[in-house]
Amino acid sequence: MNTTTTLGPAPLRADVLAGVRAMGPWLAGVTPFGLVIGVSAAQADIPAFAGWLTGPLIVAGSAQVATIELLDAGAAPAVVVLSALIINLRLVLYSAAMAPHWRHRPRWWRLMAAYLLIDPSFAVGVARYEQPGERSRADAHYIGGAVVLYAAWFAAIGAGVVLGAQLPAGLRLEFVIPLFLVGEVVPKLAARATRRAALSASGVAVLAMAVPLHLGLVIAIIAGLAAGLLTKEAG
Amino acid sequence: MSVWLVIALVGLGSYLFRVSMVLLVDQFGLPEWMGRASTFVAPAAFAALAASAIAAYAAGLDLLQAVPPLGAVAAAMVAVRLTGKPYMAVIAGMPALWILTALAGV
Repeated sequence: MNTTTTLGPAPLRADVLAGVRAMGPWLAGVTPFGLVIGVSAAQADIPAFAGWLTGPLIVAGSAQVATIELLDAGAAPAVVVLSALIINLRLVLYSAAMAPHWRHRPRWWRLMAAYLLIDPSFAVGVARYEQPGERSRADAHYIGGAVVLYAAWFAAIGAGVVLGAQLPAGLRLEFVIPLFLVGEVVPKLAARATRRAALSASGVAVLAMAVPLHLGLVIAIIAGLAAGLLTKEAG
Repeated sequence: MSVWLVIALVGLGSYLFRVSMVLLVDQFGLPEWMGRASTFVAPAAFAALAASAIAAYAAGLDLLQAVPPLGAVAAAMVAVRLTGKPYMAVIAGMPALWILTALAGV
């Protein structure tokens, strides 16, 4: 069982560095994603700095993509906000999973640690929290991994914004994000419930393109969730 | 509503999601269905975004002009299917788009 004691700086530094190392494989995956988001932000019809700002403010690649794509398409603001927040609903689940581990920490620490919570930091953090030992060392591990992740994420988006603004329109880089999304979906089609969720969502998205205010996207995501949940229950 | 305000609202909402259960878990439980639904959020959202973006891209094109984007999507799907690597969609799809565009002369 985890316990809480006050540790000196040396063990904590080692745990921070262990968290940084554990984040390494994730960085290889998320850095190109950050670059792609930066390039698409530079190509979109929004201020380049606003595109970069989605990094530190939203800190969630898929929601950032949705926000940039929908703003570029001229969707109604409420639809942009609703769509992005639906995508980010999973953060509530991550928050619930981390809550017991952080209960011993002061409120300011929990507020700060929650800002750093996203898929890779959650995965790296939970893996360490599940191991026995000092709870404060697991906290240091989480913070180390999350901070290096965020630094790399912001830098990658910034590099993409700078690079994207200098690339010619003939490269048709606006097609990078749809292709990226295809790449994210295809491996998930192997599982029956997920396949139904993805196919239902994509079918409804195309059929509902004429729905005003780009609300078709929200309808499509909800249809996909419903299809996945129903399939899961049936199976 | 400005672009800046939209991004700020999405950011604020996302942070509230992150911090919600950390501060409230002692008082509230989490519905069971929500845990199951989370599995499908990313694939459903990504599929919906991809399908609508590709459909919007190809909507105003005639058959010949639609070949490059649809061919690029097909190349991306095959590449990911064969390698299992999501990033191969962009690596295979973008060159396919450029080559097919050049061949089609559009």
